[in-house]
Amino acid sequence: MHLGKLFSMRKVSLAAVSLETPVPAGDAKWVGLRMLLALTLSCLAFTAPSVPFLLALTVVNLALLWYLGNGQISLRRELKAFVWQTLVILVLYLIRFQDLGGLWGGFKISWQLFLALLPSMVFVRSTSQTRIVQALNRIMPCRMAFVLSTCLKFAPQLLAEVRSIYEGQVLRGARILPRDLVKPWHWLDLLHCVVVPAVVQCMALAGNIALAARARDFGSQPKRTCWPGL
Amino acid sequence: MNPVAEPAGGLFRLSLKDALFIGFCAVFAVLARMMLRLHLHISGHAMLVTAFFLLLARGSVRYRFAASFAGLLAGSASIFLGFAKSGPFMLVKYLAVALVIDLAGLLMPNLFRNYFWCALVGGLAGGTKFFTAYSVNYMVGMDPTVNFQASLFEAAGAILFGVLGGLLVPVVLRRLHAYGVIS
Repeated sequence: MHLGKLFSMRKVSLAAVSLETPVPAGDAKWVGLRMLLALTLSCLAFTAPSVPFLLALTVVNLALLWYLGNGQISLRRELKAFVWQTLVILVLYLIRFQDLGGLWGGFKISWQLFLALLPSMVFVRSTSQTRIVQALNRIMPCRMAFVLSTCLKFAPQLLAEVRSIYEGQVLRGARILPRDLVKPWHWLDLLHCVVVPAVVQCMALAGNIALAARARDFGSQPKRTCWPGL
Repeated sequence: MNPVAEPAGGLFRLSLKDALFIGFCAVFAVLARMMLRLHLHISGHAMLVTAFFLLLARGSVRYRFAASFAGLLAGSASIFLGFAKSGPFMLVKYLAVALVIDLAGLLMPNLFRNYFWCALVGGLAGGTKFFTAYSVNYMVGMDPTVNFQASLFEAAGAILFGVLGGLLVPVVLRRLHAYGVIS
């Protein structure tokens, strides 16, 4: 059996999360502006007073989606979530008000919630992860930014190690194949055979990285110094 | 003694090694949500991994605010990885769960090896979903009764999965303790 399909994993692209490529200061400012715009649009959706305002906000959001995503961003998954959320809210409004007049109020709420989440989704999908990391590096404490960027950078390596641990345990006969994990009493085997060794690996890797960073005088200066300059 | 090695972390001091381990827990919490396609159609199933990794982060290091630090990192990581559908509000969601865990850890430092307490804290952490969902719906002006019911519906699943996530933690921590990896 091909173990690459372990737990029907989605391919997660982490390669782009890197701090090695210097980014011009103008780019970071532009990303900051986009972030601010997304936040403002989300807040406006929460406080939208009337239907014409909501319509105008929808148009602005769609224009932003088209402009930032170059027409490449699909809203399929978000629309499915919107339909499901609307159904739940409409049923609850129907139970509460016992007439169809209350449904419009329920739909308006669902619409507002969707518009509150849409700008963030557009921002995140249309901006590269490196740009976001580097823009946030300016507002985060340097130690936290270092920890986050390092963990994101080493995550693919850790995932590969977890996968090799899993494959090794499967070859040893552990009952942790997807068909075994349908039965909840096999979850403990997964914990003992995969999660515990993976946590030990994490701790060892954290220790090695910390030692390497200390050897390069990490933390000796109150303000972080790094190469290439951000 | 290795002159480069950092002194071990404590209750109020977070060593770089511990910070990195917490960071890995946070990143795994986000990646597990992304990779495990649990088409359960049950609201709150993501709380299983969130509660598990945040409890694991707090239970494995001595630092008192380890879960909050992990929550902060997980919220930021989910924004970086394009997983934050609710944008910056994702940070609040992770932080609310983490604060419950840290508060419980402050009140009962040895709770992380006990199944009952871990399940209870996991459930309470899952219960924060009620408040986050209620506040979002309140901000858009949802009818209070409907808001209460909708938030309760979302929180019920989160509590259930929070309890499950909490129950897994003592198993792992006891093994790590037996191996001498944590003290």
